[in-house]
Amino acid sequence: MGIGTVASLLDQERREEGYLHLQPGRVTELLGLPGTGLTRLGLRLLATPSLTGPVVALDTRRWISPEAAWETGVIPENLVIVRCDQPQIWPKVTAALLEGVRALYAEVPVGAKEQDLRRLAALARVRKVAVAMRPMGNGLPSGVAHLRLRALGVTWEGADQGHGQLRRRRLVLEASGKGAAGVTRRFEVEDEGSHVVRVVSHMVPGEARRAVG
Amino acid sequence: MLIVDDRVTGATKEVLAAGVALGMPRREAEALAPFATVLIRDQGEESRRFEPVVEAIEALIPRVEVVSPGLVFVPISGAVRFYGGEVVLAELVEKEMTRLVGQVRGGLALVGVADGPFAARWAAITADAGRPNIVDDTIGFISRLDLAALRESLNADELIDTFRWLGVSTLGDLARLPREALATRFGNPGLLAHRLASGEDRLVDFREIPADLAVDASFEEPLESLDAVAFAARALAERLLKGLRASGVAPHRVSVLAEAAAGGPRERIWRSADPFTEKALSDRVWWQLRAWVESGGIPGGISRLRIAPADLSDEGRQLGLLQDETSRIEAERALARAQALLGPDGVLQGRAQGGRMPQERVAWSRWGEPPVDQDRDPHAPWPGATPSPSPALVPSRLRSLEVEWDDGMPTRVRLATRWEPVLTWSGPWRLSGRWWTGEGDADRYQLVTSVGAFLCVVTGGRAYLAGVYD
Repeated sequence: MGIGTVASLLDQERREEGYLHLQPGRVTELLGLPGTGLTRLGLRLLATPSLTGPVVALDTRRWISPEAAWETGVIPENLVIVRCDQPQIWPKVTAALLEGVRALYAEVPVGAKEQDLRRLAALARVRKVAVAMRPMGNGLPSGVAHLRLRALGVTWEGADQGHGQLRRRRLVLEASGKGAAGVTRRFEVEDEGSHVVRVVSHMVPGEARRAVG
Repeated sequence: MLIVDDRVTGATKEVLAAGVALGMPRREAEALAPFATVLIRDQGEESRRFEPVVEAIEALIPRVEVVSPGLVFVPISGAVRFYGGEVVLAELVEKEMTRLVGQVRGGLALVGVADGPFAARWAAITADAGRPNIVDDTIGFISRLDLAALRESLNADELIDTFRWLGVSTLGDLARLPREALATRFGNPGLLAHRLASGEDRLVDFREIPADLAVDASFEEPLESLDAVAFAARALAERLLKGLRASGVAPHRVSVLAEAAAGGPRERIWRSADPFTEKALSDRVWWQLRAWVESGGIPGGISRLRIAPADLSDEGRQLGLLQDETSRIEAERALARAQALLGPDGVLQGRAQGGRMPQERVAWSRWGEPPVDQDRDPHAPWPGATPSPSPALVPSRLRSLEVEWDDGMPTRVRLATRWEPVLTWSGPWRLSGRWWTGEGDADRYQLVTSVGAFLCVVTGGRAYLAGVYD
């Protein structure tokens, strides 16, 4: 029984770590309020693809800092930041990028049309581009994302009423959608500013929901 | 002020006195010297103006190879026999050049003769106007050249600096070092440097080039507009390189042939020390076609276009183990399209530089342009720098932030329309300003709320947002 439990935990850990890797042709949705650490997580998802070629962060707020991306392991020479604060041309710019890059982290402006998002997801599928989308408003329409990672909460360690400094962030995520086999799962990742973002806890699966994507 | 590749390469005394330095980015220079007239290098136009010179040389000696507007190589072994000697031939070429170039705007025509393009180029550079430099002892001539002669061929300033540091100052000194040791220590660049220093230019690969590697296109409606010609040039250059890549080779010379709808074919060879990249090749094809079209050399428009590799090597771009050339090229195209939609400032790359605040630690440059020179060493100690993890969102300049304080301790922060209690914080960390420039001191705080953490700067009694730990 003990062996079975260990194997089960390892499987679970492997699965949860798998959520933190983009898949070619799939869209991973990062959903949550600003400040919950999803920008850093989105940039972290570009780290592995950046080993083999250029990757792009599409920045609609003009605030993304490459320094945070470098800390998470993105190869500096292979990171390009595309700044697009005009929602009307955002779909065109995103489509142009999907035509050529292998991995993209894209902020989705408020008011992006459902039809455009579906077309972009289809284009990503055809071009086998690994995409992470971070909606600035509501979530993506159902069927667009293969995996949805929703930030449920963030806690910081290190700062204490004037003492210390921010050292470690723990982010509770909920994975759902086809990429999570239709089961809603919660897990926690830890980020210390180095390029390691690791799964630190295994939480009980949430209630099963209908798969999306 | 003369601009090449968005950098200042020449300026008048008045412009330099305004603080502009050679090598400075164009925008920075324009800000410092708004009165300056900006001249941007147009190599297409240079190529068009240089075309009569190439034609004049071609009338004397066939198989002229153009490297860039202003520099041509000509293999002369056959012509020497025809004209009766190197001296006669070189003087003939020099005389013709002086007639074409020397009388116009005080130009200089420099002619050098030596074994191989590298030595011939330096023979021309060190020649006097009106006196061709005919080098009899190529190896002896090369050995006296300063190491800086390798700069353009190697494109590796650091390697040259390292050689100097090791006490090597001329190519002769370098040639005396054991080649194996250089290859072991410095890899391919070291090997290439030793070859050039030893008078061994890149050997031309005489292998037979299959005819099917050439690409051509015929046009029912002859191309007359420059736009159509540019499009065709780019498409054909892309096709050629794609085919060559599949064969695992790269071109150092290409032959560009255009057939006129109402005339005969025109052909020109372009040469490059490094294998042609897609952009370099399409630029050269475009310059050549533009020169022919604008000089009236293609009567009736272009009815057929052909680009054929004339010299191939196995050299390609040196890639990392995991790198993929195809994906790089596709990504470059995609980024160029995004840049066309957003403008050059919409597609950026960052480089680490030293600094205490997140805003200072990234040197931005437009994608596709050389990185901005920066003298802030990111590896130097920067006492007081904000520690990692860095904020993922950093405004380009500090934003005003409303913070409520209680006896020097932050209690609430206003985010949009609501106040969020500060759960915990760290700081203040003092940032001493440059008092001699009027900059005040500032205190930095990391504020943690239930909706995220923020980097806050307090200076002059006001709080500012410097970053969001999103």
